[in-house]
Amino acid sequence: MRGPRARRFRSVRRIPAGLTALAVLAVAGLFLYDLAAVRAHRPGMGWRRELAQQLERQTPADPQVMIAGAVLAVAGALLLLLAFAPGMRGILVMRGSEVRAGLGRKAAGLVLRDRAMEVSGVRSVRVRTGRSRVRVRATSHFRELADVRADLEAVLAVGIEELGLAHPPVARVRVYRKG
Amino acid sequence: MLGVVNRVLLALIGLALLAAGVSVLTASWPLAGRHAPLLSVRARRAHLHVEGWWWWAVLGGLALCVLLALWWLLAQLRRPRLATVAVDTGDGAYALLRGRALESAVAAEVGALDGVAGCRVALRGRRGAPALRVKLELEPHAVPSDTLAALAGPVLEHARASTGLTPLATEARLAVTSHRASRVT
Repeated sequence: MRGPRARRFRSVRRIPAGLTALAVLAVAGLFLYDLAAVRAHRPGMGWRRELAQQLERQTPADPQVMIAGAVLAVAGALLLLLAFAPGMRGILVMRGSEVRAGLGRKAAGLVLRDRAMEVSGVRSVRVRTGRSRVRVRATSHFRELADVRADLEAVLAVGIEELGLAHPPVARVRVYRKG
Repeated sequence: MLGVVNRVLLALIGLALLAAGVSVLTASWPLAGRHAPLLSVRARRAHLHVEGWWWWAVLGGLALCVLLALWWLLAQLRRPRLATVAVDTGDGAYALLRGRALESAVAAEVGALDGVAGCRVALRGRRGAPALRVKLELEPHAVPSDTLAALAGPVLEHARASTGLTPLATEARLAVTSHRASRVT
């Protein structure tokens, strides 16, 4: 019952959008206030005269201007990245055509860890869940390491299947002897 | 919807900032050159002297920017929920079902599923196309794919049948209650 296609979750980008809106609001509001003040025959704010003087004096060869340009370019590239990257890297898409569902990466790790702890001979497990790979590091205190490893791989294969993910990750198992 | 708006606006602003930064770094258009001032007095007099209709245009543009930014900011703070859905009662009339009532009914059914420790349900979308958003907290022993199948099967079918909303789009997020590892030996 694999769905037609499992689309990734896309972040709404509330926080970046809110911060950008705040910045636009502050800059536009400041200019608007100043423009209106000058129009009403009140003296313009000092920073605008200062800004005009700076713009007149500085050239693109000045280091400060270069730094400012680099900051602008990096900020722009960051916003573009936020606009085009899907985000939500912490959520793995589950399969199923009825409901669009996602499982947290942390949750997947917890489930797999519990599964791995059930294998006899395993003393402790650390599971790191990536988007396409699961790294399992187990320490064993009895039984042959190769047997423990084989059991772990079998248990994890079942465990990953039961997570019901659209793109099941590949497990990489490492077993160490304690001490 | 808000996601699309946010991404389009972020892309436009990002593009503008990137273009400005690159033009400063390369000293290309609209700047005069590597060793020319960024904005000479002459250029300022010629282009940015605010007078007559131009002044009104600048003022209007800035005011529009402020209003749009304010709307954009406030849109981030709202988390719209559907207040009511219309349910066809079958006798040519409609009944209004409160969104909260539907939410709590679905939440009760989901919470009764095996292996579900807690859940939160929100009814979103619009009148014609309501959408459920379910956040599930699973108990450690639960099997995620089974819980999802139970949600997609009986629970949603029940909700659809009782409200008559056949295309009830549903989105679910599953998490597992944090717990310590315990060894069974």
